[in-house]
Amino acid sequence: MTSAARPIVEARGVSRVFPMPAGPVTALRDVTLRIDAAEYVAITGPSGCGKSTLLHLIGCVDAPTSGSIVFEDRDVRALSEPERSRIRLTRIGFVFQRFFLLPMLTARENVELPQAEAGVAAAARRARADALLDYVGLGDRADHLPSQLSGGEMQRAAIARALANRPALLVADEPTGELDEETGMHVADLFDRVHADGTAILVVTHNAALAERASRRLSMKSGALVG
Amino acid sequence: MTSLWLAWRTVQRYRARTLLAMAGVAVIGALLFDMLLLSHGLVASFADLLNHSGYDVRVFSAQGVLLARTPIPHASELSAALERLPEVDSVARIRLARATTVGENGSDLEVAVVGSSHTGARVAWRVTKGADLPIDAGSADRCSVLAGRNLAAALKLQPGATLPMRAGARGEGSALPTVPCRVVGIAESPFTAAGEYDVLTTMQGLHEIGGGSIEPDSADLVFVASRADSGSAAAVRAIAALRPDMRVYSNDDVIEQFNRNGFAYFRQISFVLSSITVVFTFLLVATILTVSTNQRLGEIAALRALGISRRRIAAMVLWESVLIVGGGGLVALPLGGLVAIGLDRILKQMPGVPDALHFFVFESNAVALHAVLLATTAVVAAGYPIWLTARLPIASTLRREVIG
Repeated sequence: MTSAARPIVEARGVSRVFPMPAGPVTALRDVTLRIDAAEYVAITGPSGCGKSTLLHLIGCVDAPTSGSIVFEDRDVRALSEPERSRIRLTRIGFVFQRFFLLPMLTARENVELPQAEAGVAAAARRARADALLDYVGLGDRADHLPSQLSGGEMQRAAIARALANRPALLVADEPTGELDEETGMHVADLFDRVHADGTAILVVTHNAALAERASRRLSMKSGALVG
Repeated sequence: MTSLWLAWRTVQRYRARTLLAMAGVAVIGALLFDMLLLSHGLVASFADLLNHSGYDVRVFSAQGVLLARTPIPHASELSAALERLPEVDSVARIRLARATTVGENGSDLEVAVVGSSHTGARVAWRVTKGADLPIDAGSADRCSVLAGRNLAAALKLQPGATLPMRAGARGEGSALPTVPCRVVGIAESPFTAAGEYDVLTTMQGLHEIGGGSIEPDSADLVFVASRADSGSAAAVRAIAALRPDMRVYSNDDVIEQFNRNGFAYFRQISFVLSSITVVFTFLLVATILTVSTNQRLGEIAALRALGISRRRIAAMVLWESVLIVGGGGLVALPLGGLVAIGLDRILKQMPGVPDALHFFVFESNAVALHAVLLATTAVVAAGYPIWLTARLPIASTLRREVIG
C-alpha cells in the first residue's frame, strides 16, 4: 500500500507541560508518533497517562511545550490560529466522548455546519449531509434534534459531522465512553467502515474491543508511549 | 448558515431564557424610551404651545421684574407703531387679571381673566359653542366674555348666560362692584391649566370687571406676528430699535431661556435615569450572555476543534445579544409609549400646567436615539462573552468538560 508510507501527521519528540498552581505537571514526555494515510491507530492506557493530551496535539487544538507536530509537511507551531483552524476544518475530523452536537440544530444541520464554514454551497452541503447520515445509518433521523436521538445515534451523527469535509484524519477521544457495550460496537463497526473507505483514524480509548479493531495499537503510561 | 441564523436558532432553543431576557430589556428599554421622550419633549411641547398662539414675538415692559412686570401704558399707541414696522404683520395686546365669580354653592370662585384687543380666534381661543368675542369698538355689551371650558363645565354655563365678575383674587376684600358679564361663547385655550378657571374678554370688558381700576389702554404683553419674509429675529431687532424701553423676545428666545432654566431639572433627571437604564440593560444582557456562554463552553470548544472560526462564534454571540436587545427594544417602544401617556397625565395634574403642554412628546429622533443606545449596549454587553469565547483554550476546556 503505497499511500501508507505517506505521513499525515508526525509528533516529533513532543512534551507537554501544564503550569499548575502547585507546580508544573508533565502530561507528555518526549513522544514521537507518525500516522500515515489510511492508517488506523488506537492508543490505550490508564486515565491521566496523556492519551487525550497527545490526541489534542495531533488534532492541532493544542501546542507542545517542546518538540514539534508536523501535519502534512507543515510545522503546526509555525502556523497562525486561523491556519490551524483551517486544518482542523478541512483535514481533521473530531469525534468527542460527549458528542457535542449543537442542541438547536437537527442532525442534518449539525453535519452541514462544518461544510458551511468551509464555504460549501447550500445544495451541495445538504446532499453531502444526507449522504453521510445515510452512511452512518441515520438517514431517517436527519430532521431530528440531538435531544430526540439516542446516545449511539448522537455519536453516529457526530461521526458524520466529523467526516463532512472529507478529512484525511479522524481523531476520536473515547468515542464509546458514553455508550453501552452494544452501541459502542456499532460505533466501532462504523470506524472500521470509515477506515476501509480510506480515512486515517487515531482513536484514544479505554475500550479494548474498540482498540482491537485498529491496525496499530499503542499504549501509554505516565506521558510516554510504551508500546 | 450565517452567524445570525445560528444565533436565531440558539435564542429559539433557549426560549424561556430568551423571553425572560427580552422582557427585562423591554421594561428597562421602556423606561429609557420615556426618559428620552422627557428629555426634549417638554421643550418641544412648550415651543409648540408658544407657536400655537400665532404670534412669534412678545413685548413686555422693561419696568418691574420677570413675571411681575409693570403694565405697558398707552398700549394702543405702541401697537399702532409696531404695526407700521415693515417686519411686523399683526399685533395683539393682552392684559391679565384675577377676578372672582360666584360658584354653584354660592362660594367665591377665582377666575383668571385675559383681556385681549382681538377676538378669541386671533389669540388661540377656539370657540366650541356660541360666538367669538365682539371687537372692542362694535360691542354693545359692557362686558362680554368667552368662558373657558373648565369654568363653563363647573358653572354649567351656556352662551347667553350671565357671569357675575368682580376684580380681585378669592378671599381678598374688595369694595368693587360685581359686574354682570355676558357669556357669548364657550372656548378652549391651550394655555388653560387642568382645574384652572379662565375667561377671555375684551380690553373694555376687563376695564369693567376691574371697576375702572384697570386702564383699558394698557397691556401686560403685546403679541407680535412677524412677516414671513422677515422672520422673528428681524422683527425683534426692529421693535427693540423702535422701543428700547421695552423687553422684546422671540418665541425662540423664550424657549431658550426656559430650556436653560426651567427645564434643566427635567433634562438632568432624564439624563441620570437614561444612564441608569442603559447600565441596567448592559448588566442584564451581559449577565445572561455570560451565563449562557459559560454553560456552552464545551460546545464552543468542540466547535473550535471542528474548525469553526473564532470570528463566526464571536459573531454568533454578538447576534444573540442583538436579537435579545432588539426584541426587547421593539417591545419597549409601545410599552414606553403607554407608560409615557400615564406619566404625562399624572404630571399634568400639577397646578399651573397648561392642558396643551406635554412632558413626553413622541419624536422620531427619540426613537432613533433609543435604537442607537440599545444597539450600542447590545454590542458592549456582548464584549465579555465574546472575549471568553475568543480566548477559550480548546484542549483544556474539552478535557474539563469530560472530567466534569
